[in-house]
Amino acid sequence: MRGGAIPVLAWAGILTVLLAVNAVWTGDEIQIAEYGFAVLVIVLAGVLLIARHRAAIRRGPPEPRPARVEAVPDLSFAAVLAAIAVASILFGLAWAYFLVYFGAGLLLLSLGRLAVEEQAARASRERAEKRPAAEEPDAERGT
Amino acid sequence: MSVTAPAVSTASRASGLFGAAASTDHKRIGLNMGLASLLFFLGGGVMALLMRTQLAQPHMRFVSDETYNELFTMHGSTMIYLFVTPMALALAVYLVPLQIGAASISAPRVVLGAFWVWLSGGIIMQLGWLTEEGAGRSGWFSYVPLANSANTPGVGQDLWTVGVILAAVGLTLIGGCVLATIARRRAPGMSMMRMPVFTWTELVSVLMVVGSFPVLILAMSLLYAERLGAHVFTGYSGAIDYQDLFWFFGHPVVYVMFFPFLGAAAEVIAVNARKRWFGYAAFVASMLAFAALSMSVWSHHMYTTGGVTNQYFAFTSTALAVPAGIEYFDMVGTLIGGSIVLRTSMLFALGFFLQFLIGGLSGIFVASPVLDYHAEDSYIVVAHFHYTLFAGSVFGFFAGVYHWFPKLSGARLREGLGRLHFVLLVIGTNLTFLPMFFLGNDGMVRRIAEYPQHPGWGTLNLLETAGAGVIALAIAVFLLNVVVSLRSRDPAGEDPWLGHTLEWATSSPPPRHNFERALPPVTSYAPLLDLRERAEREDSRTAHVTAGGSGSAGRGAPDAGPEERTS
Amino acid sequence: MGIVDTRAQYRHLFDIYVPIALAVFALIVLAVLLAVLVYRRRPPERAARWHENDRLEGAYALLLCAVVAFLLYLTFSTEHKVDTVSAGERPQLVVNVTGAKWEWHFNYPGYGIDLYSGAVGHQDLVVPTGEAIRFRLTSVDVIHAFWIPQLRYKHDLIPGSTQNVTLTFSRPGLFAGECAEFCGLLHSDMVFNARAVSPAAFASWAQSERSASGAVP
Repeated sequence: MRGGAIPVLAWAGILTVLLAVNAVWTGDEIQIAEYGFAVLVIVLAGVLLIARHRAAIRRGPPEPRPARVEAVPDLSFAAVLAAIAVASILFGLAWAYFLVYFGAGLLLLSLGRLAVEEQAARASRERAEKRPAAEEPDAERGT
Repeated sequence: MSVTAPAVSTASRASGLFGAAASTDHKRIGLNMGLASLLFFLGGGVMALLMRTQLAQPHMRFVSDETYNELFTMHGSTMIYLFVTPMALALAVYLVPLQIGAASISAPRVVLGAFWVWLSGGIIMQLGWLTEEGAGRSGWFSYVPLANSANTPGVGQDLWTVGVILAAVGLTLIGGCVLATIARRRAPGMSMMRMPVFTWTELVSVLMVVGSFPVLILAMSLLYAERLGAHVFTGYSGAIDYQDLFWFFGHPVVYVMFFPFLGAAAEVIAVNARKRWFGYAAFVASMLAFAALSMSVWSHHMYTTGGVTNQYFAFTSTALAVPAGIEYFDMVGTLIGGSIVLRTSMLFALGFFLQFLIGGLSGIFVASPVLDYHAEDSYIVVAHFHYTLFAGSVFGFFAGVYHWFPKLSGARLREGLGRLHFVLLVIGTNLTFLPMFFLGNDGMVRRIAEYPQHPGWGTLNLLETAGAGVIALAIAVFLLNVVVSLRSRDPAGEDPWLGHTLEWATSSPPPRHNFERALPPVTSYAPLLDLRERAEREDSRTAHVTAGGSGSAGRGAPDAGPEERTS
Repeated sequence: MGIVDTRAQYRHLFDIYVPIALAVFALIVLAVLLAVLVYRRRPPERAARWHENDRLEGAYALLLCAVVAFLLYLTFSTEHKVDTVSAGERPQLVVNVTGAKWEWHFNYPGYGIDLYSGAVGHQDLVVPTGEAIRFRLTSVDVIHAFWIPQLRYKHDLIPGSTQNVTLTFSRPGLFAGECAEFCGLLHSDMVFNARAVSPAAFASWAQSERSASGAVP
């Protein structure tokens, strides 16, 4: 109902209770700190979901909804390049330093590629929105 | 609410290797990740076979002490960081969007990048084998001070540390994307309490991933700094702090490696009992409690350090029996009154529950500090966690494979080979891991490259080695089954098993954006079963009219109650 | 009152935990097998439609809570003996145990005796039977663990700390001991034997050992 935040926050609630019991029972600072970190991350996730709240999911049969087109890239070399860049930077730290520079270069390349992909996404989204809804076979299907 | 427009492509459609490697289709990424994990599983299995060969008899010298230490370190690391955990998430990446009726996963680019980060980490970890000092060799939890550069010098251990960091980063990001997908992309009508059982188990798993995996990244980064010469973990408190940080990840991950396979086995049992999963609301509540408790048990790995409050962790660890008991109750409740079909997937699902039980019950045993003072670091513990992870999760994984293989390939796996695979795996598993309880109670320490002459130990270890061979045979039969079933296909169609959930309401394999027809109405956590039951009710109603409406056969109302229960 | 025997305490818990576990295992296996046998090959249209029973499940959860509470009560009371009561003993004999890769060093501060066992030395740790003995555990390099399987007890040796454990050997004999925490290359060679002898025999052993080593000053 709150964009899926309820079970997340409920779970954070159970964790908080266990954290409190841990704090009272053990009084161990590092345990309280890491436990607190986990609760914080989960609460943050819940708050984020509420903040980006959208229409509630209603019980009942699917209803037609206003279509807002979301462009999904089919391929993303930017993502693969960025991943390999990060990996080669860390690999370079442990193995051979030149790989750190190689990785940094790759990371720049992947950012460039990301810009190209975003540009293409915008263009195709505009194209799709110009088309009449009848041509959009999936416009009524929610995701 | 956003609607995916499948027709919109932003990159040129590349085919072939590049297309498969850079595809943002969650099904492609899930498959890639599953295949990569499976390869790591085979590699980790070979390491296990080498170790079992060394341990076949007392004082065997098949590999050196050094190699043995690398083998058990890399076996554990491979299975945990590179097989079971990523496989649990690969199942989520492939199946969760389908089960909740979504056209795609949230942030597909992040998922794709995260997969590659994880895979690079796995490869970097394994590259340690090629270095002069060998691969990582201080155990999959690499305690300090053993894992610092003075006690374990060499690039291999550095590569291990970096590999774990990368794997953990990838898995955390994927967990976050799955969480976002479940929260935001459910089909109209699918409220949280109408989510399929498997999706619920993945939801609680990814909650644990995002809450605990960052702590592993921190611990490994600090370990890396320590290896570079920074004094992060010094003295007694440093050693305890590292263990606290590590196990704060290291125990939750055990449940991340369990819940999704529990969910898979639950779906398989419900479908093959032709009855919806019993006690859904209690199941959901107990999963939330289960996951929260399992975030709170980590220091039961530290009972013998004298540095933690044992009672708190004994309390939380023993309390796990309550939600676990409810899952078993629900499983039996689903079977009773059903119409059970013993397909291979069902055999594996039942095997999952019954064999995991040994791991679970021995888990309550080691949850008691007094019993753990003896069992800790002995073969009792080795037996315990292999019963949970191998006899449990791996059986649940195979249940899922036999169940969903038709969905992802369009063809069924062979039933005959499947049964053979199951029987061999049951024999091999118990032959390998059951004797370990006795060896451990008798005093055999884990992680020893050789063991002394001791009455009975040679025989029991030889049995275990033979069992490991049977497991290898079973895995070979499985691989053969996959090859045979893909070569001469037995077409499965959309819904070969009369499934309950939305992934069975689309073609096999599903199209790029998953559903080309309108989704069926989501009226419960088993929407396709609802449809069939409604159709049946209509049929029987018309039948009654023609038969003059005698009330004798008035069965089949959806909530008709336990009118025809156990005999 | 009396000395805490770790082996007996383990046995006490084991004899309750394991039968319960075996009974639960048998019960669930039986339930599953019966269910499969009875409901196998039933015509699909006879599959039941009921799918929940909250009261039954609630009652079952309460039963589980009761079992957990019972096990915890047992564990806590036993752990109290093994950890707290034994720490309150005032033992006559204190032995300093130092772990080092991959050797045990046993030092008897009251007697000036040093023994070594492990990858190089093979001397037995000698102890008297029937009395509490305090072991002061520490390590000079990495984490080791002091485990005597027959006493059903182990404890970690962590560099930077000295931790006391109090153990009792209730009968004479040879007790195998080993390092339980993985400590590097020769972990499997870091073993020792504990030889438990009568207090009188221990006294004469200590006497001869002291004169053998302490003859210099």
